[in-house]
Amino acid sequence: MARFEPVLTAGIGELDLADIDVYERNGGFAGLKKALLEMTPDSVAAEVTASNLRGRGGAGFPTGRKWSFLPKDGRTRYLVCNCDEAEPGTFKDRMLLEKTPLQIIEGLVISAYAMGAAQAYIYIRGEFLEGSRIFRRALAAAIARNYVGERILGTNFSLDIVVHRGAGAYICGEETAQLESLEGKRGEPRLKPPFPAIAGLYGMPTVVNNVETLGYVKHIIERGAAWFAAIGPEKSPGPKIMSVSGHVRKPGNYEVPLGIRARELIEEYGGGLLQGRKLKAFQPGGASSAALFEEDLDVAIDFDSLAAKRTMLGSGGFVVMDDTACMVNCAMTLTRFFEHESCGQCTPCREGGQWVARMVARLEAGEGSREDLRVLGVINNTITGTNLCPLGDSIMPFLSSVMRRFPEEFAAHVAQGGCPLKQTAGVA
Amino acid sequence: MTPARRARGLELVARYPEAQSALIPFLQYCQEQDGYVTHQAIEDAAEVVGITPGEVESIASFYTLLFKEPAGKHIVQVCRTLSCMLRGAEDLQTHIKRRLGIGHFETSADGQFYYEEVECLAACDRAPCLQHNLEYHYDVTPAAFDALLDAWQAQPPQPAMPAE
Amino acid sequence: MSEQKMVKLLIDGQDVVVPDGTLVVEAAKLLGTQIPVYCYHPKMDPAGLCRICLVEIEKTPKLQIACATRVTEGMVVHTMSPKVAEARRGVLEFLLLNHPLDCPICDKGGECDLQDFTMEYGPASSRLTEPKLHKPKRVDLGPTIVLDEERCILCRRCTRFDDEIAQERNLVVVERGHGSLIGTVDGGDYESYFSGNTTEICPVGALTSKAYRFRARPWDLGHADSVCTQCSVGCNYRIDTRFGRIMRTFTRENPEVDGGWICDRGRYTFNYLYEPARLRRPLVRRDGDLEEATFAEAVALAAEKLQTAAAAGRVGVIGGGRQSDEEAFALQRFAREVLRTDNIDHRARLQKFASPARFGARIADIDDASLILVFGAITPEQAPILDLRIRRAVARGKARLVFVGPFKPEFAVPFEHVEYAAGAIGDLMESLADAVTRGSQTGNQFVDQLAQTFTQASKIVAVHNGRNTVAAGALERLMETLAGKDHQVGILVVGSQGNARGAEAAGCVPNLGPGYAPVSKPGMTTGEMLEAAASGKLDALYIAGANPALTYPDGALVRKALENVPFLVVADQLLTQTAAHADVVFAAASFAEKRGHVTNLEGRRQAFAQAIESPVHVATDAAILAAIAAALGKPDALSSDPDWLFARLEAAEQAAGTEEPLARPKLDQLASPQVDTMDAQRKTFTVIPVPKLYGGGSAAAHDPGLAPMRPQPCAIFHEDDALLLGIADGRAVTLAGRGGSITVAARIDSRAPVGGVLVIADMPEAPVNVLLDASGAGRVTVTPAAAREEATA
Repeated sequence: MARFEPVLTAGIGELDLADIDVYERNGGFAGLKKALLEMTPDSVAAEVTASNLRGRGGAGFPTGRKWSFLPKDGRTRYLVCNCDEAEPGTFKDRMLLEKTPLQIIEGLVISAYAMGAAQAYIYIRGEFLEGSRIFRRALAAAIARNYVGERILGTNFSLDIVVHRGAGAYICGEETAQLESLEGKRGEPRLKPPFPAIAGLYGMPTVVNNVETLGYVKHIIERGAAWFAAIGPEKSPGPKIMSVSGHVRKPGNYEVPLGIRARELIEEYGGGLLQGRKLKAFQPGGASSAALFEEDLDVAIDFDSLAAKRTMLGSGGFVVMDDTACMVNCAMTLTRFFEHESCGQCTPCREGGQWVARMVARLEAGEGSREDLRVLGVINNTITGTNLCPLGDSIMPFLSSVMRRFPEEFAAHVAQGGCPLKQTAGVA
Repeated sequence: MTPARRARGLELVARYPEAQSALIPFLQYCQEQDGYVTHQAIEDAAEVVGITPGEVESIASFYTLLFKEPAGKHIVQVCRTLSCMLRGAEDLQTHIKRRLGIGHFETSADGQFYYEEVECLAACDRAPCLQHNLEYHYDVTPAAFDALLDAWQAQPPQPAMPAE
Repeated sequence: MSEQKMVKLLIDGQDVVVPDGTLVVEAAKLLGTQIPVYCYHPKMDPAGLCRICLVEIEKTPKLQIACATRVTEGMVVHTMSPKVAEARRGVLEFLLLNHPLDCPICDKGGECDLQDFTMEYGPASSRLTEPKLHKPKRVDLGPTIVLDEERCILCRRCTRFDDEIAQERNLVVVERGHGSLIGTVDGGDYESYFSGNTTEICPVGALTSKAYRFRARPWDLGHADSVCTQCSVGCNYRIDTRFGRIMRTFTRENPEVDGGWICDRGRYTFNYLYEPARLRRPLVRRDGDLEEATFAEAVALAAEKLQTAAAAGRVGVIGGGRQSDEEAFALQRFAREVLRTDNIDHRARLQKFASPARFGARIADIDDASLILVFGAITPEQAPILDLRIRRAVARGKARLVFVGPFKPEFAVPFEHVEYAAGAIGDLMESLADAVTRGSQTGNQFVDQLAQTFTQASKIVAVHNGRNTVAAGALERLMETLAGKDHQVGILVVGSQGNARGAEAAGCVPNLGPGYAPVSKPGMTTGEMLEAAASGKLDALYIAGANPALTYPDGALVRKALENVPFLVVADQLLTQTAAHADVVFAAASFAEKRGHVTNLEGRRQAFAQAIESPVHVATDAAILAAIAAALGKPDALSSDPDWLFARLEAAEQAAGTEEPLARPKLDQLASPQVDTMDAQRKTFTVIPVPKLYGGGSAAAHDPGLAPMRPQPCAIFHEDDALLLGIADGRAVTLAGRGGSITVAARIDSRAPVGGVLVIADMPEAPVNVLLDASGAGRVTVTPAAAREEATA
């Protein structure tokens, strides 16, 4: 099957796109020039809306519609680029940051122009130290060539970009928590409403967009909304970088058209399963997504098809688990993750999440009971849908899905006092 | 507060419309110098951004890359989330703990090494992975770790948590 | 006033109409429907953390939190559906999971929201099959509070109180996730004048008062609705007793006065009543020593001596500011009708008047003031709950706070400091009044800028301490001009004693009777009485609830007066510095041991009930006066019955027909205060006494609950002066003035004015009043204390 022609990932691995000369020679800043020199901000925004681009950070909210929520009240507007990639299984934003920072900058400038923001921030995850250094160098180069800064390319549009590093908190990927962190506070999500478009950074109208999303804005401007909208399903179009990892031969970032089948992603791009293994489960969209199984391999990878299967595309962190993977161990890993990353504000996530993690850890260690299984089977009702932010709602989906699909595996951990896979194979 | 620190603080504050935004970058700067966030740094930060030391402590304690106590000259953080676990992270963790003689969240007796199991580092295609003083190392097998350990111990000292 | 938009909605099938913007949880309250809450508190912004208030709202897919959802027209809310019940049960299960089974030993038992909501909505048993997780217990959080982190449900009401209400932000949340804890920087003390409020708003027993720990169960307690008398704000509170002993106090919200809060001084000042220092019997001086006597003996002796002095017209009465309105009325009646003298004055400090003559403001006027001007009064120390209102108004961006004075006090919110010498405040106010009234530029930048600030502010509230009549007069002139230009204006005078205004209104001043009615032949002021006593022109003094030996500015004069006056009667609760000189000491009842009324700085009269019986030989001030009056052959002049006194007080006020402008109390015939210029040579320093909330020579000096918060006496210098004097922080120094000297530890702070020294007022160990003259001014030389001379305390 013909490989999809890379858009955002074009040249990565072959060219040094962090070098501004290389970038310019390879189509760099064409979108910026077109937007600022040939289009009005409103027409840029209209183009993005027409493309049906949906946010690539995890929530999948239509980008043009998000921008349209900014009130026309004259208050200062801010654009924040969310580069706090921490969703397990996702590693596309770090790649973009390190390998093609100028493309991110270009997308930032075009988007800020469209929404009338003169100040932008890029919130880079604390662990991405090297990436932040690469980005700062690229930003300096872009400023030197007047792609960023005062009166860009001689136009009336000026943009300042501030690079801000996080300090270790997954929850800062949630937009309101990110704003809190940018304001120098604990990264704790805010109550919504008000939404960031109305009261965001410093209480001002703010848009938070993912790195990948801003990258696609550049290409939409260059090639047109129609081009983008024609790729993949109508309501969920465009290319998407899927981060494929786990039990596949060729883990990596793959830019694919939305709508391809999961089977194709695993086999054609990911190189298929490891020698002699069989598929047991896969998580299509990060730690918050419910697992899918062998019978789901023909599901289309896009926002709506996956939602219809009661899971999600999310950030595109696609993790494959074969028959050597213990589902209880996987669930333990993920529930432990959410317990560690819970900000602690609200009761169900803080207390319930810790309880779930403890129960699953005990099950994994062979110290669980049937009562634990019973509780885990019903706790969904009180722990999901009752929280302040989506993290609390993310605790149960994977666990519930694999408990439903592999009840005997969970029961065996109780009956046999340990993992049947470990006990038979003697390996993890 | 040293004049140099105060100058840096003012520089950072100047980047933002509101001073408090400079708090975390300032604490990261202090941590780079001192090896961890000292009580003095908390007082300095409070003064620089105009909040109480209690608030600084509250905010700093939220973030895992800000250390309240001296951690070590070598901060070794090994990923423990799903993709790495599927590709042998548990074995790597066991090996590292044995080699360093310390457990999760612990510092070696000579104060050199600090070991921590952390969540997804966004390097899932080259699992298992770890960070040493915020520098990535990929496809780390136990043997590969041993080689890294030798290399780290041979290299000249550097800040464990660089600021920028 | 614009029309308030009203919204109609349905809650559990019942219609309710509320103003637009009302929270669902408040709308439900109007119907008597309880929606359980933990993190929600009506005085603070909604937080949405605990999730127990989740309710079902039709047309929204997920349950919504009632505490942060505002009503909309036609909204349909269900608070008792099965989904809601399940959600509540779930939240309670999560909260109870690791909650320690402490109920039998937890102070909150019986008034605990976790107990109550669990009984009502929660699961009957636990599904936890492993040991509960532990967190620090019995954390010593400072002088007043013990924290139990295991019991804490992390609703954050306490940290939000410290942030939104107190504006102090020392109590914070540390760590994150399940490991979150309430704490302070480096585990240090939670020091706040308002810490006790957190024990009330904490829904569980995580924050408990040291003063009340393990002492009683709420169902054992008797309650008395009372009013705090520690300062002139008059916060409403409740005194809780068990078997006739005060166990604790509790707020009793009056939105107009305290807004539902009380400071720690008010909350925790009661255990002194059970200390050995508390007077339990009258004392009579025999052979030079004070010895216990019977009430009858004391009355007989007092009556005999007072009669002689009164007959010669050489008697004086000082007091009333710490009594109830009834007793203040009785005191002045005792002076005027029993002793036949107008030598009666409640003023035992620098304060000259306890009320504004005109433009009296209400406390609530601070809420929407655009400019708050403070001079003389240090509101955080002298009227803390008033200061909370100021903090809120400033923090919400509504008000500007301007403080005029010689030094920079510690306000919890940003303010402008207009530095002005202590004696010069009168001149400043005059210039300011001129500038505003005539719209003229005075040429003084400060004054002109300040004048502009005034003319631009739509609502101005001024708060001062009633010491400077020139300033007060000028202020009133200024307010009159502004009122004429459609500004809203108001003045509050912070009383020097809890019931200063009540005493003034009841006639405890030499030239005014009850209701500010003028008296034909004014008597002597406190200062004049003391002068007379010192120079042998007064034969007897009766002092009730006042301690001029410590508080009256000219300490040397007071000492001479008390030593020289042939006969001194003092009625007080403790053996104060003044009482130590007395010939007869009556053991007086405390605020908790009588009933009556007090008048706060607004002029608001509030009733307080009796909480406990006084010890057998302790009598109320009214009873003491009535007994002496009877012994003097005038049994009908007075009564110990508060109702009898109150009726006559009201009748007198009615007859006087009090209205603004209120008459002014007589001033001392003394030279007016000189403008104090700082000594350029710095051979001498200007003494500036500063009040501290926990300073004082009576209850504050003897209450075990307040002991840990007691300030250390000290003298605070500017760093330039410290350098000049060669003194380091903590060094013992001797300040020597006209009337005496004190030796204290020096402190260095840039808030002290150059050329001046700040000294904490009313500290018996180092009384500042020995350094001052009658006008409150004083200059001292400063010398490092000799090595063997230790700084006191």
